[in-house]
Amino acid sequence: MSVEETVREIVTRIVRRPAEEFGRETTFKDMGADSLDIVQILSAVEDKYDIELDDEALADVKDMAGFVAYIERKISENGN
Amino acid sequence: MLFKGKIALVTGGSRGVGKAISTKLADMGADVIINYFRKKSTAKETAAELEKKGVRVHLIKANLAEADKIDDMFDEIEREFGRLDILINNAASGVARPALELDDRGWDWTMDVNAKAVLLCSQHAAKLMKDGGKIVNISSLGSRMVMPVYTAVGVSKAALEALTKYLAIEMADLGISVNAVSASAVLTEALKIYTSAQGLGDSVYQTTPAGRMVTPEDIANVVAFLCSEQSYMIRGQIIVVDGGYSVSPESAIKKGN
Repeated sequence: MSVEETVREIVTRIVRRPAEEFGRETTFKDMGADSLDIVQILSAVEDKYDIELDDEALADVKDMAGFVAYIERKISENGN
Repeated sequence: MLFKGKIALVTGGSRGVGKAISTKLADMGADVIINYFRKKSTAKETAAELEKKGVRVHLIKANLAEADKIDDMFDEIEREFGRLDILINNAASGVARPALELDDRGWDWTMDVNAKAVLLCSQHAAKLMKDGGKIVNISSLGSRMVMPVYTAVGVSKAALEALTKYLAIEMADLGISVNAVSASAVLTEALKIYTSAQGLGDSVYQTTPAGRMVTPEDIANVVAFLCSEQSYMIRGQIIVVDGGYSVSPESAIKKGN
């Protein structure tokens, strides 16, 4: 499964929305995610890829495409 | 080295009060298992600091809101160590909202991490405490005093305190002591986040009749005592560490704090 597919599965599971609502330009706000959802999403992604996501860097992430790109960068930094 | 040869698990043990407790137990010779939620780099830094004291340190990442992650954590402890002597239920989280604005998910999350995880971790620990043991739960004055937007956390801490008493009685036959330490506002990163997010300014940074704020080390010292045999006859108690704040709030105000 690609990183994007995995992130889609995690995000839609936690915010309890259908996968079709997850688009590359979708924002966390569009998905109805509150701060508690976001903490759980970040934790699930970290567990999945054994990486640490930086909350401050994530503040600059605009949409799901940006989120996926940030995760991919972290995975490659981690040498996975 | 009172705790040499002992194995301790500190949930949320890499930062703030949890780090002070991990450090104190390591200073006293215990091997320390540190559970953390998200900040791997911080956990690694804490582990490196503690290892310099000559003890074994083991990190476990786990979201304690999820029961299966708690199962996995204790499976790992059993695999790595085979037993446990000390459990410090310190990890805490919470949704900061007034009661009338709390939703069910925020309530559940807070109760899951702060109360249910204490039960589940204690159940697992009981099986690994083959020669008896010590459990100390970390509470806060929000269980008995009302603080702004602290509803869910305060109620979860009240549950933790009641659970402490039940566990103390039910686990006494197993040779396990269970107590809690309750603190007023402790100067940690978590407090800064809480006060700034709620626009509380410096009002929470009150000193006490004892003349200063409670530090993480103040809590760690009492926890260490409760983990020692000197506290053998203390069971199911909530030890308040607040510099006298809760029994004499007026005196703090009169001092101009």
